[in-house]
Amino acid sequence: MTSLILDNVTVDFPIYGAQKSFRSALRAATGGLIRREGADRRITVRALDHFSLTVKHGDRLGIIGHNGAGKSTLLRVCAGVYEPSEGRVHIEGKVSPLFNTSPGLDPDDTGYENIVTCGLFLGMTREEIEEKTPDIEAFSELGDYLSLPVRTYSVGMLTRLGFAIATAINPEILILDEGLGAGDARFAEKAKERVDALIERASILILASHSDDLIKSLCNRAILLQSGHVITEGKVDEVIETYRKMNKLPS
Amino acid sequence: MIPQYGVAIADVVQGVLSWRMWARLGWQENKRRYRRTVLGPFWTTFSLGVFIGALGIVWSQLWKLDLKTYLPFMACGMVVWAFVGSVITEGCMMFVAAGDLIRSLKINYTALACAVVWRNIIVLAHNIGIFVLVAVYGGVSLSWKMMLAVVGLLLVAINGIWICLFLGLLCTRFRDIQQVITTVLQVAMFVTPIFWSADQLGGRAKAVVDFNLLYHLVDVVRAPLLGRAPSNWTYFSVLAAALLGWSLTLVAFSRFRRRIPYWI
Repeated sequence: MTSLILDNVTVDFPIYGAQKSFRSALRAATGGLIRREGADRRITVRALDHFSLTVKHGDRLGIIGHNGAGKSTLLRVCAGVYEPSEGRVHIEGKVSPLFNTSPGLDPDDTGYENIVTCGLFLGMTREEIEEKTPDIEAFSELGDYLSLPVRTYSVGMLTRLGFAIATAINPEILILDEGLGAGDARFAEKAKERVDALIERASILILASHSDDLIKSLCNRAILLQSGHVITEGKVDEVIETYRKMNKLPS
Repeated sequence: MIPQYGVAIADVVQGVLSWRMWARLGWQENKRRYRRTVLGPFWTTFSLGVFIGALGIVWSQLWKLDLKTYLPFMACGMVVWAFVGSVITEGCMMFVAAGDLIRSLKINYTALACAVVWRNIIVLAHNIGIFVLVAVYGGVSLSWKMMLAVVGLLLVAINGIWICLFLGLLCTRFRDIQQVITTVLQVAMFVTPIFWSADQLGGRAKAVVDFNLLYHLVDVVRAPLLGRAPSNWTYFSVLAAALLGWSLTLVAFSRFRRRIPYWI
């Protein structure tokens, strides 16, 4: 059974090379989130503060919050990129994070070469990559361009390729950051279908977004984050309502 | 930091086993150098060759050495030194260079280290051409002992991986160290018997050679190529370095491996 449990997780980011005056400026600006720790009085920023969360099979969790609320950090902790300074993370199942569409994409390699490299980074075997290549070819609509170095691509073409590779995986726990842009309007429509299918295949979805509509359409649970704490959690509509009230926006 | 020996060892084992990943990374890096340039990685070979040729001729004159014996020795030493040196310098910046990747995926760090070593073995395979040319000129005779160079290379690679991991860890956290290492390596090239032979040093100065790991890493590959077996002391030093180095690396890696994404 896939599940993801965060137990009392704290994430502190060490800040290196901060000048003294800069440090005091930071302390004033962030309202005490920045602190000095340990014998060497290290400067740290606390991104998540004793945070607990349980996500189970079938959950589609939306994460809402301001910039700097800890959304991206939370996603990266779920993906196993950041191991917390305190607390534990238990993950059952294969995690597929999609933070940017092209981890390990090299501009000098051809499209086909990048399909293999990125696929390996995303945890696919060579056989799986070969199996998925026709699908990536078809979806990216790049045709013969796939034999050319990626640096010759337009931004839109690059997005299409990255997106096609990233979404070819078979995820169990899918972690999405909203910034997964997808080219022009026609492609965006196609991309949406593909993401929907991807989410359909996943056992668990964790999505961070500023878009209420996106969260409403994709998620069945939501949490509201502020300064590394959970403000509220529960039904999507209620959480969004709280967030709007917090921002004094009309609901 | 609570050490996570299990996690660290798993990273090393899985990393070494994921040869498809590191073999590809190392190979693509070299392939890229062939694009847009006619000579590709042979450019390094070419400039190294010019360096060896020019210095070889001048120094054999200065020191009144026979060019036919001096040039193969110096060429071989320089080619192996270039390999060892670039594994060390590239290892320092390994994690910083892969920063984007490390921050977007949970990635195996040992595989990155293996990629650095493999990529440089491919470069070494290009550079060894210089030695072959010079060896033909100098009349170095073929012998079975040359096969020992493969064993030597394997030993250097085993050391190379821990060096990459250890220095990568250190240099990601303390960015100054890379500068220190570059400086030390520049000096070490002259202090290590590359241009001169180890037996030219006598007395107490010989400690510079005997306890110089860089010398042993070079000689374990160089000596067989020149037709003699490396000394037992060299084999001992290289094996001891592997054992101590890997222990040290595992101690550091098990504590600080998880801090790497925070340090980038």
